[in-house]
Amino acid sequence: MSLLLVLHAELLKLKRTLAFRVIFVAPLLVAVLQFFVLLKTRQFSTDFKLWETVSRATLSIWAIFMMPLLITLETALINGIEHSDKHWKHIFALPVRRHMVYIAKIIVVQALIATSTLILCLLSILVGLVSMRLRPELANAGPVPFGWISKQALLVWLAAWLIIVIHTWISIRWSSFTVALGAGIGGTFFALFAASASLGKYYPWLLPLNVFTDERLVAALVLGAVGGVVAAVAGCVELARRDVA
Amino acid sequence: MPKYLIETHGLTRRFGKQLAVDDVSLVVPEAGVYGFLGPNGAGKTTAIRMLLGLCRPNAGEVHLFGLPLAANRLSLLRRVGALVESPSLYPHLTGRENLEVTRRVLGAQRELIDTALRSTKLTQDANRRVREYSLGMRQRLGLALALLTKPELLILDEPTNGLDPAGIHEMRDMIRSLPAEFGVTVFLSSHLLSEVEQIASHIGIIHEGRLLFQGTLSELQADQQVQLTLGVNEADQAMDTLTAAGWSVQRRADGLLSVSAKTSDEAVRINKLLVEQGIEVFHLSLVRASLEDIFLTLTGERRAA
Repeated sequence: MSLLLVLHAELLKLKRTLAFRVIFVAPLLVAVLQFFVLLKTRQFSTDFKLWETVSRATLSIWAIFMMPLLITLETALINGIEHSDKHWKHIFALPVRRHMVYIAKIIVVQALIATSTLILCLLSILVGLVSMRLRPELANAGPVPFGWISKQALLVWLAAWLIIVIHTWISIRWSSFTVALGAGIGGTFFALFAASASLGKYYPWLLPLNVFTDERLVAALVLGAVGGVVAAVAGCVELARRDVA
Repeated sequence: MPKYLIETHGLTRRFGKQLAVDDVSLVVPEAGVYGFLGPNGAGKTTAIRMLLGLCRPNAGEVHLFGLPLAANRLSLLRRVGALVESPSLYPHLTGRENLEVTRRVLGAQRELIDTALRSTKLTQDANRRVREYSLGMRQRLGLALALLTKPELLILDEPTNGLDPAGIHEMRDMIRSLPAEFGVTVFLSSHLLSEVEQIASHIGIIHEGRLLFQGTLSELQADQQVQLTLGVNEADQAMDTLTAAGWSVQRRADGLLSVSAKTSDEAVRINKLLVEQGIEVFHLSLVRASLEDIFLTLTGERRAA
């Protein structure tokens, strides 16, 4: 009950914020990039599979690069609002359990990332449909694989829970936007190197991409989703014990 | 109903080696305004943070409404409104929306927002974004947030900080009216003596983490020595007489004598003694130490100790 009340309040805080607007901008950038790649490709190979290429490439770019950065930005913005006017002392002087606030913050970011991922899926389908019109050689690409796109998007989102929790904790723990941004950029940057390493299977910022590889799928989901829940519980305990400045 | 709304026993908090609050035992009675007075850095905000459960004491405990805070945090905080240091507001939201955020968290009735806005004279500006508010308006909105659920106890930490004289006056009037208007007990911290003197019925003086005095203003003043100024024809004889009788006497540059006494009744005894010794008394006046003098004496003594 009190979680719903806190969530209700969190939604109002998003009004007129960049945190809300950016969930539309991020997928749009990826879709535009994908659109121009298709448009500028001189010649497609005979076995070119439009939907497989478009949806896989779009979701992969999203999983390895844009979504982790979006998570960084969202958590930094959403929790930055609370740091800016020392809101934590006001919130925690209210009759509300501290861990409810933490969980509500995580759920809001999860919901924003899910919405943004959904928008990305819709835009990638739109990119595919428009490309079929503009490039006659792609006209026979076949039906849109809604099932595959939905399933992969869901897996990417689930595998991202751990980094959502990590970034929420960082942005609550430190008021500095630079720390939050640095952690996100650093995590994403090292993911590019960790991708080919065997330990990359366990690297948090690589988990959303790992869902596209069969042998890494289970680890990505267990570490991402279950690990995210475990990390959130640890974060709740830590927050409940901490002094509020 | 408990005797005291706030009761702390040996409240202590250190930050590293620094003792921010040292064995503080507050007793805040119901009704009226309790002024928690102390210079900057005295430990007021740390003590208030412990009263609200924002930080935990190293020793001692907090009781609110007769119950221990540690075991009843949520139920007790439901009866408390607080404004700690500067008001915490979302500048991108309107005044009404800021109140709505807190209302939603508390699951309170929507009508309470209008009441809080009215009480703090913000109804006209309720739909303006807070980033357009003046400092005084922001402070009043902070007070509205604290008053939103009609608390029984209001904890205000330096509520006039940063305000211009007009804003201070307005805020002070508002706080003064709260006990009568809402039946709320106000616990107010301030480093401004004049502010506490004008608003508070009870005061606690804290300095370097220690509570130096606690009680009513009249108790504080009664606790202090009275200075008697005497004009006599035989100053040397008068000094000898009074010193022999146990009083502390000093001769001032203007020739008058200054006598420290514990109560004003002693003026009668001094006058009678001098007259009986054949000394003519042509001037006798009583000077009670101002609150400022008392405050400076208390904090000065502490520093010297």
